[in-house]
Amino acid sequence: MLVRRLLMRGLSMLGVLVAVQLLVVISLGATGYSDRMLQAVIGEQLRAMRGGFAETIRDPDQLEAAMEAQRIELEQAYGLDRPWYARIPAMVFRVFVLDLGEAHTLRSFTGSNRVADIVAERIPNTVILLTTSMVITAIAGIAIGTRLSTRAGSRLDRLISYGSAISYALPAWWVGILLILVFAFRFPIFPSGGMYSAPPPTGGFPRFLDLVHHAILPILTLVLASLGPYVYVVRTMTLNTAQGDHVTAARAKGVPERIISRRHVLRVAAPPIVTGLILGLAGTLGGSILVETVFAWQGMGRLYYEAIAGTPDEMVIVALTFVFTLLYVVARMILEVLYVLLDPRVRYD
Amino acid sequence: MAMTGRSVIKELTSNGPGRVGLALLALLCVTALVVVFTYPRDFGSEHWGNPSRWVNNPRSVPPAWTAAFDGGRLFRHRSVELTEPTESQATGRAFIQRFDLPVSFAAAEPPNFVALSMRGFEFHARPPIISAFLIRPDGAEIALFRHVLSAARAGESTPTTRHTDEPYRVVLSGEGSAGEALARHFRGAYDFDLSSDQLRDDFEGWLFATIVDGERRPLAGDYTVRVEIMAASEDDRVDSIGAVFGGAVFGVMGTDALGRDLAMGLLFGLPIALLIGIATSTVSTIIGTSLGLLSGYAGGRTDQVIQRAADIVANIPVLPLLIFLVFIGGSQLWLILLVLVAFSWPGLTIMVRTMVLQLRHGQEVEAAVSLGASRARVIARHVFPHTASYIFAQLVFFAPAAVLAEAGLSFLGLGDPSIPTWGQILEHGFRTGAVFLGYWWWVIPPGLLIVLTAVTFMFLALGMESVVDPRLKGARR
Repeated sequence: MLVRRLLMRGLSMLGVLVAVQLLVVISLGATGYSDRMLQAVIGEQLRAMRGGFAETIRDPDQLEAAMEAQRIELEQAYGLDRPWYARIPAMVFRVFVLDLGEAHTLRSFTGSNRVADIVAERIPNTVILLTTSMVITAIAGIAIGTRLSTRAGSRLDRLISYGSAISYALPAWWVGILLILVFAFRFPIFPSGGMYSAPPPTGGFPRFLDLVHHAILPILTLVLASLGPYVYVVRTMTLNTAQGDHVTAARAKGVPERIISRRHVLRVAAPPIVTGLILGLAGTLGGSILVETVFAWQGMGRLYYEAIAGTPDEMVIVALTFVFTLLYVVARMILEVLYVLLDPRVRYD
Repeated sequence: MAMTGRSVIKELTSNGPGRVGLALLALLCVTALVVVFTYPRDFGSEHWGNPSRWVNNPRSVPPAWTAAFDGGRLFRHRSVELTEPTESQATGRAFIQRFDLPVSFAAAEPPNFVALSMRGFEFHARPPIISAFLIRPDGAEIALFRHVLSAARAGESTPTTRHTDEPYRVVLSGEGSAGEALARHFRGAYDFDLSSDQLRDDFEGWLFATIVDGERRPLAGDYTVRVEIMAASEDDRVDSIGAVFGGAVFGVMGTDALGRDLAMGLLFGLPIALLIGIATSTVSTIIGTSLGLLSGYAGGRTDQVIQRAADIVANIPVLPLLIFLVFIGGSQLWLILLVLVAFSWPGLTIMVRTMVLQLRHGQEVEAAVSLGASRARVIARHVFPHTASYIFAQLVFFAPAAVLAEAGLSFLGLGDPSIPTWGQILEHGFRTGAVFLGYWWWVIPPGLLIVLTAVTFMFLALGMESVVDPRLKGARR
């Protein structure tokens, strides 16, 4: 049962990955984008060869003929002589291994212009932001939600359900802008963006503190935007469990409230609470793209913004779309495993 | 529990969130209708996106009402326009038309800029000579500039026309001659030497100032900008002469870095946001419901395929895909809506299918089938009505997500440039650094409007909650 469930989820996630790949590749092909990109790559290579050819071939006509032959050869190698749909498998594979050539204008921090390098060094920055804010949301959400469920129907409870509706309606990135206006502009407590001060402090620990100082506002933004709906989910889930017969029975036996809430309610409600995290995952991921943009946090989300603004870097955008999907799938699978570990029915069946 | 329009209204008016949601929705819809009927069709491309429409507005200034908290320090935006000369006179061979444009100045801060614009010249022989002066309350007359229109080219028809479409526009701070005249005046009247740096940094400040005890003080009182058109022929004429004194505050919502009236852009964004929310949610509800009904009722292979597809599409993270597809396909509003619809149907399909499976084996359907009802009739009359209220609640739920997604996409710079939205206004503000300069009037209102629209739909969804989950009925009134 345990293996079966994970396997089913895994297959479904693989389906997501493949579907996104196909969508990306087909839209690149059908709009003629991939043809133009490959032509550009070939043009680049031909220009590089020209110098070498010119050293040995003196006659301009012969040189042109040799270049033309090279061009045809390259076009065959890249599959440009075939229609775009015949190249789908090769394209899908290239995206999977992030073999996406070179970016036009974007560079990695180390100066490389390979798309794979540029994207790879941004992944950890995004992961730091995402995991920290998700963990904080989960802890705070469970603490507040369970507390609320014991006071269902109270004025506070009703206030929170309005609050969570408003929280759902808040664009995270706009909240970020407000926080910058207040805490970076009006009261300069936190930096308005970036990951490190310029110049960054030397030494491991001061550098870490500097990072934390820069991370507080973006993390706060992500938490504020996702906490409301999550508190509501936790509250409803625990409320449903708290009305169960086993809780009434435990109470009849005289088990202390503290133990009831921990062992009989929270423990049973745990798997659905994880489901709540799963449901919020895509939203948080999307939110992080925009929040990184606002705070100039050097992650993949900010990279999207940089790749769209100015000279568009289409290959970087393709890579980001794939990596974001991959990130989602991985996070999703981690939560699925957590769910299985927490749900005794799945574990022992 | 079949559902009619009336019963939805009844349900919504029976609880707090529903009532708030309905009231907000009515307010938004009425405002949106007013905008739709009063704004020109091509507002986005011809008005909002056309910088020359906004040259006469001050740039990046807060709303006019903020001046109420500033004790009258700030100069209010003013513009004067004359179509008839104040005075005409003939001297020998020249005909002089004099236009007097008055402005009274009482604020502590000078205007942001002073600009003259002249439109629609018509002359017969030699081109007219334009000269402008500022007459100050202390009686001093400062020559601002002198300009001769370009003469008629060979073969050009008579009368010759100039600046009929684009007015001849002069920003005083950019006229060297005005600065020189001002410096001459300060030297002559106060024995005060104005440096060229002082003039460059704060031309308007000196134009509206006097010297008291060697210090600069604003000179309050009535000023007149006098424009004289010296024409060679009596029939020469000009359509209008105007002066703009740029305020330190402007309009209801202030202006952006291009001088655009933010109130206009914010209002225009409302029908667009409602359209995005309502169109996306309606279409994706229709698709989601149809597929759900089909999947649940047809069963077999069809069911399998639809459910697999729904499972996969439901799990695709939307924003990255939305960014990618709109980037490749071009920033067009219809494409954004199409992609949003394409990713929002699966949840409803899965739910509707589950409901259909339960209903399908219920007594009502069995009875109908045994009476010989066709498949289509069973779905239309005996299955769909039972799911309708749930579907309606979901419809409301899709809307805020669509509004937020479009806003986010616009914020990344992928909004449809021909249709200004709140997200685009925010993006422009963010990209040009408004956030880091503290231009709150530019970044707070569009966000608040996004939240207001999304909250309206959220409250409607909350109001419908007891329909979705009957257990809540009576518990939360």
